[in-house]
Amino acid sequence: MTIRRLIRYLRPHRLVLGAAFALLLLGTAADLAGPYLVSRFIDDYLTPRTFPKEAILGFAGIYLTLHLASVAFQYGQLLLFQRIALRVIHRMRTEVFGKVQHLGLSFFDRTPAGTLVSRITNDTEAVKDLYVSVLSTFVQNGVFLLGIFVAMFVLDWRLASLCLVLLPVLYLLMRTFRTYSSRVYRVTREKLGELNGLLSESLQGMNIIQALRQEGRMIRRVERLNEEIRGAFLRSVRLNGLLLRPAVDLLRILTLMGVVSFFAGASASGAVKVGVLYAFLQYLDRFFEPVNTMMQRLAQLQQALVAGERVFQLLDTDEWAPGEKPGALPAAEAAAGGEVRTASGAGLDRPGAETVRAEAAFPGVLPPASAAGLIEFDRVTFSYDGRVDVLRDISFTVRPGETVALVGHTGSGKSSIIQLLLHFYNVRSGEIRIDGVPLSRIGNDELRARIGLVQQDPFLFAGTVRSNIALHDGAVTEEAVREAVSLVQLEPFIRRLPRGLDEPVVERGAAFSSGERQLLSFARTIARRPGVLLLDEATANIDTETEEAIQAALTRMRAGRTTIAIAHRLSTIQDANQILVLHRGEIVERGTHQELLRQGGLYRAMYLLQQGGVAAKV
Amino acid sequence: MKVFADLLWFFRMEAKRYLWGVATLVLVSLLLLVPPYLIGVMVDGIVDGTLTAGALTRNLLLLAGCGLIMYVLRYVWRVLLYGAAARLSQVLRGRLYATLTRQSPVFYQRHRTGDLMARATNDIQAVELTAGEGVLTLVDSLVMGLTVVAAMASAISWKLTLVALLPMPFIAWSTSYYGNLLHVRFRDAQAAFSGLNDKVQETMTGMRVIKAFGQQEAEKEEFRKLSARTADANMAVARVDALFDPTISLIVGLSFFLAIAYGAKLVVDEELTIGGLTQFTIYLGSLIWPMLAIGFLFNIVERGRASYGRINELLQTRPDVQDRPGAAHEAPRGAVEVDLRSFTYPGQPQPALQNVRFRLEPGQTLGVVGRLGSGKSTLLRLFLREFEGADGLLAIGGRPLDGYTLDALRGAIGYVPQEHVLFSATVAENIAFGRAEASRAEIEAAARAAEVHEDIVRFPDGYDTVVGERGVTLSGGQKQRLSIARALLQQPAFLLLDDALSAVDARTEQAILDALRAGRTGCTTLISAHRLSAVEHADVILVLEDGRLVERGTHRELLELGGRYAEMYERQQLESLVLKGGASS
Repeated sequence: MTIRRLIRYLRPHRLVLGAAFALLLLGTAADLAGPYLVSRFIDDYLTPRTFPKEAILGFAGIYLTLHLASVAFQYGQLLLFQRIALRVIHRMRTEVFGKVQHLGLSFFDRTPAGTLVSRITNDTEAVKDLYVSVLSTFVQNGVFLLGIFVAMFVLDWRLASLCLVLLPVLYLLMRTFRTYSSRVYRVTREKLGELNGLLSESLQGMNIIQALRQEGRMIRRVERLNEEIRGAFLRSVRLNGLLLRPAVDLLRILTLMGVVSFFAGASASGAVKVGVLYAFLQYLDRFFEPVNTMMQRLAQLQQALVAGERVFQLLDTDEWAPGEKPGALPAAEAAAGGEVRTASGAGLDRPGAETVRAEAAFPGVLPPASAAGLIEFDRVTFSYDGRVDVLRDISFTVRPGETVALVGHTGSGKSSIIQLLLHFYNVRSGEIRIDGVPLSRIGNDELRARIGLVQQDPFLFAGTVRSNIALHDGAVTEEAVREAVSLVQLEPFIRRLPRGLDEPVVERGAAFSSGERQLLSFARTIARRPGVLLLDEATANIDTETEEAIQAALTRMRAGRTTIAIAHRLSTIQDANQILVLHRGEIVERGTHQELLRQGGLYRAMYLLQQGGVAAKV
Repeated sequence: MKVFADLLWFFRMEAKRYLWGVATLVLVSLLLLVPPYLIGVMVDGIVDGTLTAGALTRNLLLLAGCGLIMYVLRYVWRVLLYGAAARLSQVLRGRLYATLTRQSPVFYQRHRTGDLMARATNDIQAVELTAGEGVLTLVDSLVMGLTVVAAMASAISWKLTLVALLPMPFIAWSTSYYGNLLHVRFRDAQAAFSGLNDKVQETMTGMRVIKAFGQQEAEKEEFRKLSARTADANMAVARVDALFDPTISLIVGLSFFLAIAYGAKLVVDEELTIGGLTQFTIYLGSLIWPMLAIGFLFNIVERGRASYGRINELLQTRPDVQDRPGAAHEAPRGAVEVDLRSFTYPGQPQPALQNVRFRLEPGQTLGVVGRLGSGKSTLLRLFLREFEGADGLLAIGGRPLDGYTLDALRGAIGYVPQEHVLFSATVAENIAFGRAEASRAEIEAAARAAEVHEDIVRFPDGYDTVVGERGVTLSGGQKQRLSIARALLQQPAFLLLDDALSAVDARTEQAILDALRAGRTGCTTLISAHRLSAVEHADVILVLEDGRLVERGTHRELLELGGRYAEMYERQQLESLVLKGGASS
């Protein structure tokens, strides 16, 4: 199954592949012609000791020309196979990467990043071998084997028929090998994946490992895993040693023994043709070389197949992000999954093709002009894992231009509301509507272009300060970047950087303080001029003064925009049109700042605590 | 071939496996000559009709025995040589990881995760290939090539052998030329692959942001470019790579041509029979494989060299921070003294901290406040000795920080960072990350003190819920409190809270601070915060501005001073007043 699917990737390269095979066969033919020419030279000229000048020069000329041609064909063929392989892998990579982009966050919550990295880069790399060497080897040697069998039948059909017994024996050998090796390779790959996961996690949390002095324990864990990997690898070496080349060679010797006995028996009952005996032995010798080469590649093939299977598994994951399942495709095609993608895959090489597809995939996209920004939560219940509800029966309405604040203790479900509004997850029951349209009918691109999120945990990309604000989609102008920078008062910080906006940002912005990272992520949001603002504990990491400036900026930003804000400091949300107090996933109080204070409930207690310090503990 | 010299340490380490492996390999190569001889004898016997049934059986048995012995020996050398190669990658992986655990944050700012991962996987694989397949090919082609050449020169004609081998040096020259070319291109290809890895790594960890900003299509386009660049770099490798075999074929062909031409002359001169010439070409034909193997060998070896270079570069990186000779192994105890003239991050033009002085008695609490980028967290992190180069005195119990081993120092410190790092493990394992042997009761006590116990019992599997990359989603506050519990469980003499309460609300903050005060008498605590309520009860409060200490004192003293701290406090009070006014109206 996997192999058929892998071969289907070659379809767009049919012509090049044909050319490569043609060159391969031509090269082989030219190569084989050499010995024939030499034998003709020996029989026709050297043996009778006659050397006519023209004929000799002609022979030399033909020999050298053929030889050069075979060399050139060989080079061309090698290059073409490489080119096809690299193109197929490129396509497979962009396809699987593109697919992963549209998977739901619940998938990423469960799957370690290291595993995904190894699927997208390492496993596809292992698949490459299939196209580079395995295919050409099997075709070339298959043809060769066929030729040898034909020649053997011509020589002596009885003996050749006996040699046919070799085929089921070889088939059995191959099948045994495949059965065992697929198990062994899978274990090896899994262990390697586990090691990669551990490695990637360690690299990201190294400062904690060091601060907690767990280097030794982690090293021991890696060593244990390392030992397991070596064990698995050794098992595959043993398997290869038992069933591959050594076994084929043993088989060769047994066959030779059989042939010799056959002729010895024949000589007892009558005359033996010496020529046939020599030729048969020669051919048998040549028969096993291609078999060996193919068996050798079988190990590679096995690895490529296991890796390919893992890639396809990811490619077939059905855990689409809400609203990102390519539903515009006709139902039959969508159901066929990967096959369709493969068949229509030629188009994917063109930049932009995917964008077109992605847009077409979202039905009922709202035109931005109609966007007023009315947000409704209608009896929404939600759970990350399907077991524990983190939100229960949440209903509220944010009218266009209004600000609604969410307060509550940590873990009360505030962040989940924001995640749901961004359509990162599907609700368990109930409905979320924007301007009366259910979230499920709004395209995610459209939705997220209108909503500006400021996250708890600012994530910076490797690149420059500028690229972190503008990102890569080209939707943000230089002017918008500068505006955003001044709006969040990032200018003094940028002035301090030696290269200003072009200062490089290392992975995750590790060289900046968390406050600086937070400000940068502010600018990123603001630069996109969103219609709806979601502030997720946005001010948690910023000191009072910086926060004042940002509050001023946000006030300006909020004018005419619908805003949902989470803030721990109640002072920042006192002007909200509505404040929702959440407790363990439910709305327990709602109203304006004044109303809630008068109610004398949870909000008032939190408020008193904050401005009075410990004394007001309720 | 330089890589074999580079790997000499390993060949020595695994000398036994290699010696036996190579010996077995040579033995197999020699045994290979037996079956053709036995078959030749039998065939001659059949042709002459002189083969007796006894001789046939004897020879067939010999043949079978030879086949079985070769089968066993071939299995043996595979296990020995490939086993040794697997050992190399195991050793390299282990060393690489150990080196990585010793590197400071400066190193991790220089190297991206994806790149490090690529070196730990792809490059180690390439070196493994050199140590296994490479050694095998070298030995095999040498033994086979030399045997054949010896047979050609001794049995047929040394003159003809010499002429036929004339073009052979060209193989050595061209393969080493291609090898150098390949080295550069292969390095480039590996670097491109690293870049690709980096991109995927980043995308997979930052998926939430990418989705929230609608960057999926832009990310795909970026990835497409990188993937195309990787393909191009690999194509550049292939262009050289594909030269090896044809070049060798070309030269072998020339060698054939010379052999036939000169051989014909020798035949005419009656120095050689035609049969001898035919046999010679057969020998020459069996030289093709060793020659091709040499090309293959150069290829493997160049890849191995490039990859080993990339790995070695990391292995040779000296950790920025190391134990001083004579550093004390005992756990630091006593008063904290700081008289810091300046500290500058490596590679930064301006100092991050200047003229910071304070003293903290055992059991006291230090509060550090100041605005964004004022150096609060730099000051705390100096105690972990993550960076070298602080000018001035940082001491605990009268001994400078670098007078303790890193192990002793860090063992006495419980650190809660700004960024919460959790590992793919259960909640309990994460809390016990610094003390794997802690009992469940101790873990729960730490979780209670960090105000996270209530949250944990509400998780689907309580303390056995898996968190981290493949676990449940936690809020920022929950992660912070888990980090606090993790630090508390260590029962450290010094606790560093680096803005560690920023994502928890006021009630939880107070509860945690109360628990710290109640349970940690006698222990020294250093807190950096931007909310003054977190440091109000500290024995010493430092106010930092642009890395300089501008005020120092207790809450009361600083209020009386009427400076920056008082200003900040007033502003926070003012906010309260405004709110109060609102409340009473």
